[in-house]
This record gives sequence, C-alpha cells and structure tokens, in this order.
Amino acid sequence: MQRKFFSAIAALAISSTLSIYAFADTTPEDAADYRSAVMTSLRGHIGAASMIARGLVENDGHLVSHAQGLANAANELSRIFPKGSNVGESEALPVIWEEPEAFAEAIAKMQQATAAFVTAAESGDEEAIGAAFRNVGMSCRGCHDRFRVPQ
Amino acid sequence: MMAALSAFAANDIVERGRYLTYAGGCISCHTEDAEDAIPLAGGRAMETPFGTFYSPNLTPDMNSGIGGWSDDDFVNAFWEGVSPEGKHYFPAFPYTSYTGASRDDLLAIKAYLFSLEPVPKENADHDLAWYMSSRMAAGAWKAVNFEPARFEPDPSQDEQWNRGAYLVRHLGHCGECHTPRNSIGVSQGDAEMAGSKFGDEKVPNITSHRIDGIGRWSESDIEYFLDIGMLPDGDFTGSSMVDVIEDNTSKLTREDRLAIASYLKSLPPRESAED
Repeated sequence: MQRKFFSAIAALAISSTLSIYAFADTTPEDAADYRSAVMTSLRGHIGAASMIARGLVENDGHLVSHAQGLANAANELSRIFPKGSNVGESEALPVIWEEPEAFAEAIAKMQQATAAFVTAAESGDEEAIGAAFRNVGMSCRGCHDRFRVPQ
Repeated sequence: MMAALSAFAANDIVERGRYLTYAGGCISCHTEDAEDAIPLAGGRAMETPFGTFYSPNLTPDMNSGIGGWSDDDFVNAFWEGVSPEGKHYFPAFPYTSYTGASRDDLLAIKAYLFSLEPVPKENADHDLAWYMSSRMAAGAWKAVNFEPARFEPDPSQDEQWNRGAYLVRHLGHCGECHTPRNSIGVSQGDAEMAGSKFGDEKVPNITSHRIDGIGRWSESDIEYFLDIGMLPDGDFTGSSMVDVIEDNTSKLTREDRLAIASYLKSLPPRESAED
C-alpha cells in the first residue's frame, strides 16, 4: 500500500514540469546536468561499495556511508527526471515520460533495494551484504535496460 | 542398492548437463523472445547480414525436437556441424566454437535436454539471402572455413587458465560476438576478442588493451561483471550482455567465472578495428 502511494507520487513528479524547476532559473540543460551528477554519485557509491562487498577493501564502517549515499540518491531519483530535460548528452529514453508509472515502479524498486542494503550494511553480516548489494545492482540494471539509451 | 546408485548417477549427469547448458549459452538463442516462451523450445529470430535464422527446438519431442537423436548424432552436430540426416548447419549454430567441446560434456548436455518435457513446436524456416538459401552454401562455407578440432589443454598454462580457455573459446563461444568477422562471416583468429558488431550494437573489445579493451579491469572485476553485470566504475549496462549474464554467466560457479577472467586477462592487448 505504502509502496503504491510513493509510486503514485513519483509518477506525478515525473509527468509534471515542477520538481527541480522550482527555481525559475533552472534550464533544461541544468536539469540534465544535475541528473547526470546525481547518477555519477550513485555510480561512485556502487563502485566503492562493491569493492567492500567483494572483500577487496576492508569494511571499517564505510560501507554504511556508501549504502546511505545510495539510498539518499535513490530517494532523489523521482525529482531529477522533469519533463523537457531530455536534452544535450542526456541518455534518458522518452519512454520515461511516456510510461511514468512503469518508471516510478522501477524507482521504487531501487529505493527498496538501497534501503535494504543500508540495513544489511549496518548488520555487518557478509552474506546479507552480498545478497542486498546484488539486489541493488539488479535494480540499476532493470532500469537501465528499459529507460536508458543502450550503451 | 544398485538401482539407487545408478539413479543417483543418472541424476548427476542431468545436473551436470544443466550446468553446462548455462555454460554453453544454449538458452539465450534457443528460447523465443517472448514473456511466456518455453525455454529451449526454439523459435528465436536471429538477424544476421546473411538473413534471419530461427533457432530450432531442443526439447526431446520426437517429431519437432531432438527426441530421436542418438548420442553420436548429438556429438556430431557440435563437432562437425552436421545434422543426423547429414545436412550442413549454417554457422549461426556456433559449431565453429563448439567443435572443441568434450564428448563427456556434450553427452551431459544431451542428458539434460532429454530430461526436459518434450514440446511439440515445429521449427521455422530460415529466411536467408538468395546466395545462402541452400544447405549447399553452408557446405561450401564449411569446406573453406571450418576445421573440426577438440580443445587441447596448453601444458604451459595452469588448470584455471585452461578451464577458462575451454569455456571462452569453445563452450561459451564468446568469440562469436566479441571477435570480428570478415565479409563472409569468418571469425578473425588474429583479432580474438578485439570487438565487433551485433546488429547495430557495438560489441566491446575484451582483450587486455588498456584503452580499447578491458586491460584495466582486475580478474575480480571481470568475475563480478559476469555475476551481476556491474562495470568496474559502478555502472550497469543495458546491453545484449545482460541476457548473457542473466541466462548464463551468473549461473556459473565463481571458480568458472574466475577461470574465464584468468583467460581473458592473458589475451594480448589488441586495438579495436576502426568503424
């Protein structure tokens, strides 16, 4: 129920031109650049977290901060795809705005997966961390598969 | 007691065959591209410069599937690229790679396929360019471009490398997409894994070239990519490789993925061909 509610809110944000255009000065280019910056931060946290999850780097508590970074950015996803921001180097596909409910659903998955990853990271249980991280990865992939320009 | 033992052994070969079916990448091509498609019952359309191929039904249905095939029929299809009736296969079926597979492995795959529910589903005819539209064309192509040969381990390399070489070059047939082909569709051995094209999609160079290839990836990076699809920089691609990861490499053991990584890391750096 709660998830449905958040999806509906997210779909609303995506299909409106409000969200980050709150400042009158925000141009479509700014919106696209900002989105790209948030995505880059997600990628950075994922890359770092994966190295800890794989045991290549010691987990001295920083996994939790990367997990939180992911969860924070995931919570911002629904506001960084305003209509009209598909400009310049943007890799967003038009289907995002054509099917806002489906896109909101994909974002909801990412939010759940990252929240669960925070919990797993806090527990310190390696197996739980591995499984939760995998789900985060699946949520990234699931979205890119359908909503981003194929790489 | 004996019956129980042999039942276990039979089950064992089926399980091994299931695993090798993942390693062999059979499911991606032999399953229709539809939500409710039955795995391995064939019917996927494969667009190539020579026309559209439709993959055949691999379930043990006696009429439309491979239910009537003997062990030798099955092995010969992979080793020699011929059907039980002696017809030449088009190399869309990657026997040019599979020819290196061991008889044991192939028969385990057969045992697994024969454990599946038979699905009556007629094979679709290929839709090919005129010059390819006869099996004679496949025969002529083979006569010039195909040499059947089993995989021979390289004694100067360790077991892990050899396992990786077997998986990459033969069972996994990675080169079918990652190695460039010439105009008549022959893989260019001297450019092994230097990248190619798959339809409109650019297939990456996976040699150890540091700029064009994956030379900056660690073995762990490669293993992890084949497991969950993450690039070392934290990105997740949405390319055709997603299907390969989902249907095949993620189902392998970590040891086998590391073996693949070890082999790929050993490939000499090669520049990508110009577009």
